[in-house]
Amino acid sequence: MSFPNPATSVKLVLLGEAAVGKSSLVLRFVSNDFQENKEPTIGAAFLTQKCTIGERTIKYEIWDTAGQERFASLAPMYYRNAQAAIVVYDITKPASFIKARHWVKELHEQASKDITIALVGNKYDLVEDDTEEESLRKVSVEEGKGLAEEEGLLFFETSAKTSYNVNDVFIGIGSKIPEAASAGPNQIHQTNNDGRIDLTSDPNNRPRAAGDCAC
Amino acid sequence: MAFFDSLREKAVSTINSVLQDKKTPPGLTKEQWFCREYSLPDGEVVVAENAAEVAVISDFSTSAYKDLNNPEGRIYLTQHFIVFRDAFDRRNCSFTLHVSTVKKVERLPSKSYAVALAIGTQSKLTFTIYLVGLRSDSEKFAQTLKTVLKRNLPNVKKLQPFVQTCYSEYLLFKNNISSEKIESVPPGGLGLLFKFPGNPKELRDKSKMKLWFDLFRVDGRNLSLVKTPMFYRLIRVGLPNRLRGELWELCCGSMYLRLDYQDEYKEILEKNLHKKSLATDEIEKDLNRSLPEYAAYQSPEGIERLRRVLTAYSWKNPEVGYCQAMNIVVAALLIYMSEEQAFWALNLLCDRIVPGYYSKTMYGTLLDQRVFESLVQNTMPMLWDHITKNDIQLSVVSLPWFLSLYLSSMPLVFAFRILDVFFLQGPQTLFQVALAILKINGEELLKTDDDGSFISIIKDYFQVLDQSAHPSSPNPKYRSITKFQELLVTAFKEFAIVDDEMINTHRNKHRDTIFQNISSFVKRTELRNLPKTVNISSDTLSVIYDRFYSVVQSSVTVGSGSSLMDFNAFRTFMSEICRWVKPESDSGPEDTVFLHHLFSNWDTEGQRALSLSDLVSGLNKLVEPDLMTMITNFFDLYDYKNKGKIDREGILQISEDLLYVTNPWKEGYVLDDITKQAIENAVADEVYKANAARESNDGEILIPSQMDIDKPKFEGLQVERYLQAASTFIQRAFEYAQPEEEELLIKDLAIDNTISHNAALNPNTPVFLNLPTFRMVILADETYELLFSKTLRESIQLDTPLDNKINSMRNLRDMFDGLLADGRKVANKVRRRMDSAASNALHSNNNLSVNSSDNTSLKSGKSKIQEEEEERDDDFGVISIDEKDKDLLLGAEAQVLMDPTVDNASRTNELKKFHDAEAAAGKTVHKFEGDNLIEFET
Ligand SMILES: Nc1nc2c(ncn2[C@@H]2O[C@H](COP(=O)(O)OP(=O)(O)OP(=O)(O)O)[C@@H](O)[C@H]2O)c(=O)[nH]1
Ligand SMILES: [Mg+2]
Repeated sequence: MSFPNPATSVKLVLLGEAAVGKSSLVLRFVSNDFQENKEPTIGAAFLTQKCTIGERTIKYEIWDTAGQERFASLAPMYYRNAQAAIVVYDITKPASFIKARHWVKELHEQASKDITIALVGNKYDLVEDDTEEESLRKVSVEEGKGLAEEEGLLFFETSAKTSYNVNDVFIGIGSKIPEAASAGPNQIHQTNNDGRIDLTSDPNNRPRAAGDCAC
Repeated sequence: MAFFDSLREKAVSTINSVLQDKKTPPGLTKEQWFCREYSLPDGEVVVAENAAEVAVISDFSTSAYKDLNNPEGRIYLTQHFIVFRDAFDRRNCSFTLHVSTVKKVERLPSKSYAVALAIGTQSKLTFTIYLVGLRSDSEKFAQTLKTVLKRNLPNVKKLQPFVQTCYSEYLLFKNNISSEKIESVPPGGLGLLFKFPGNPKELRDKSKMKLWFDLFRVDGRNLSLVKTPMFYRLIRVGLPNRLRGELWELCCGSMYLRLDYQDEYKEILEKNLHKKSLATDEIEKDLNRSLPEYAAYQSPEGIERLRRVLTAYSWKNPEVGYCQAMNIVVAALLIYMSEEQAFWALNLLCDRIVPGYYSKTMYGTLLDQRVFESLVQNTMPMLWDHITKNDIQLSVVSLPWFLSLYLSSMPLVFAFRILDVFFLQGPQTLFQVALAILKINGEELLKTDDDGSFISIIKDYFQVLDQSAHPSSPNPKYRSITKFQELLVTAFKEFAIVDDEMINTHRNKHRDTIFQNISSFVKRTELRNLPKTVNISSDTLSVIYDRFYSVVQSSVTVGSGSSLMDFNAFRTFMSEICRWVKPESDSGPEDTVFLHHLFSNWDTEGQRALSLSDLVSGLNKLVEPDLMTMITNFFDLYDYKNKGKIDREGILQISEDLLYVTNPWKEGYVLDDITKQAIENAVADEVYKANAARESNDGEILIPSQMDIDKPKFEGLQVERYLQAASTFIQRAFEYAQPEEEELLIKDLAIDNTISHNAALNPNTPVFLNLPTFRMVILADETYELLFSKTLRESIQLDTPLDNKINSMRNLRDMFDGLLADGRKVANKVRRRMDSAASNALHSNNNLSVNSSDNTSLKSGKSKIQEEEEERDDDFGVISIDEKDKDLLLGAEAQVLMDPTVDNASRTNELKKFHDAEAAAGKTVHKFEGDNLIEFET
């Protein structure tokens, strides 16, 4: 057990309307950095990052896609074989939430059956110090949670700018992905060949949602 | 015009023969192809052509140049251009001379040539053209040139303001070479204010400028320039900052658009000032995200220019609108170009150079990625094997290269060098460079086994393009070659075979697959975004979708079609799925009234066209299974103002439309349930008789293969029933239509009830029909009740396969065959008869007779229907209504349909009137049938 665990590769795709902050989330996760004026992603970008969850190391292969509507027809090329997806919307832009709904549907219809999806409402920093009366927030936590429950998704609110909750998204996804995922969906809940017990595959063991997070 | 037309005809045939070795890419006419080949604006047509030898001389020509052999080739004349290209080596000499720059044409005496012409231009060049071949042809050419020049006179005035915007002119004027007075420094790119990218010293900008200056003196400039080998060489080494914009637009031909449409850019901006659209929203999002590291785009000046060019284009070409990556391309163009230059270059780029790259479906991008993959496969099979084996998604790397023309991938200075060649040579440049990138990094790439390392190798490579390609070479000259130079050499030498023709061949090969993929993606997305339709299943929606696009004929795949259905398409659509819509060929204008109704009712946006979602929502209402909702939906069609009432005109319209919709049954070629039941019963009777005659008790029922059923009789009964229903409807509708509110008062005062009653029938009295009354009138007639509960719905077959149209002429014969084929149904009926005969042994025979043609027998048939239908108690349709039931029904209706504005007393009154009318109707049926019906039918 003291051997370093070989990393499990997880293909993860980011989807969501243009300028909601997909690339920024990735940049935060991969380089812990933020750029005020990030150029739009053309087609897709590819990045990798390792992430340790408990005893397990996951190597995320991240496909960050372009958000504009017309790039949608390229998306199947990128979510093909993805084991995880992050569907991002901007909590200050209601239209981006509608778009997120569409993406979830598309993934359910077209992507691998056992894909793990996280719904992420980004730009939390913009509403952080808002008062009740005056808020930039246009999509409530309840709406986001509602959709996530309806469709069986993980749910987070994040800020790529302040890094609030960003790592949690990837940890959450990692915990939900069965260790043997790459070997096929049948092996969920099973012990691995080398005798290690998969502690994280319990589907009920949901990661903390945005609201409960301490950070 | 005839002059041009005949010339044009001849010219086309000649071009065809000249160009026959070059394949015209599909989707282009020969004329379009010619314009593209020579970078002329679309619409230019060859009006004359000839073989020619050409000599170009300027005041500054060196003698060495003069001694060269005259280039030979073909000279073409279009409405606005004189075009020439050396037949043996196009790079040796070619020119595209705008006729506005022609100052004079002289005929030179010549012994060896049929005709020799000296053309003097504004740029002080003299083009001597020796026409070769038949004298008559040459004469004709000269004549045509004269005509072309004359016709172009009105355009000449555009020349002066235009040359004022050309830096080449300014350069010559400043150096006292040109007499053309340039008032002020021509507008240029943001680089003038914010510095051009790169170090001008390193780029040797000054020397390049000097070389171009020399070239302009000798070979002309902008609208009258001769492209010599020097021209190409100077482009290859990279353009100087200040001339880059002008030379880009000259190479790609957008300069001619800017000349022709001098005010358009400004006008578009003025016209659309403050207007918003999806595209402008999308543009706003990206303004701060376009080359953010370049100083201009951190300042309002740069952002403003970018915004103006992008929005102007989105208004000019709304089908493309705005696509991410255009922001980067335009931001880059604007460094070297004025707004207007960038605007027209963008136009040409999207329309011609990389069509479909930025369209709504980005089909061009997808297609070229596929083409690129197959080129990699063909030219670097080892690498390709490696890529497929490791499941590496090549397009992740290459798609941004193509889409942003390398501007977002490599350092700008290098990307601009590629753009220099790209504007000259078009899309092949993108492929050549892309292949060279893979080739140069091939060894490294073969070592990778996943996308990640594959991508990072190339990313790293772009960062060291300025370094030596051979750092350890002992030869200093060799050592000084940069990786970027190596890239260009590899691209344009090794991959020179990848030319337009090869690319087009590959595009043709993959086009269909790409379009198919796009269509299925678009379909999935569109279906998902449709409004919910409870009455239409998702499979049916898919069929409707296909049919919609089969009649709308928009090109979904290219992302251009507006995807709206006009009335004619709607009519075709409906005729394919509805029994009551005749195909366009055999119907008159009266047949479209109801369709027009549906059409305008479903047209929610009031744009005289239906979107797919309009259509689907409308159809959903039309196939409503709930009787009451169905009646309401139909009522709403005529309740234009949403006031809950329909006026006299509307009532007449409804009755006409009902007549129209019920045509198939009224004319007896489709049967409704009432008739079907009657026939089934008749058949059962026959079988029963036959079996009873056999006197066998084995319980087996023999179904005769032949049977004598009086078909015309059933047909006739149905026809009669429908005519009757129509006349009853109109009569009752007016009977129960209520006068307008004010009229009510007068009516209350009226002494004689019958007079006020008649007033409703008087066309001058305004009356209206409200929903409860309309329902009452419909429900009071079994045929119309059935129509709304079932017949109408079933006459629309939404899931009719695309290659199959609804058969509106199904005849009775089929019906009988069907009945016999489905023996069980008949057998059940027969068995029932046997059972009831057993218990009621005596007098069943008479009752079952359906052979008599009077009404009572039909009624007795109906009561049997009722009995048999009891098992299916959800079926409204076939409950027959007799006098007794009607009261009950109306009582119940009165409760459900309580109209708050009508008090109880008036409802009782209504009921009474209803009964009166019933009685009256009974008496007047014949009269109605005879006279009024015809009136409604026409
Ligand atoms: N305030 C705030 N701004 C953010 C946040 N995340 C991203 N942004 C900004 O939003 C803009 C768009 O961010 P990107 O990460 O490029 O968005 P994207 O979803 O990748 O966009 P596309 O590539 O066009 O699909 C940039 O200007 C970011 O700086 C956030 O959490 N808070
Ligand atoms: Mg992005």
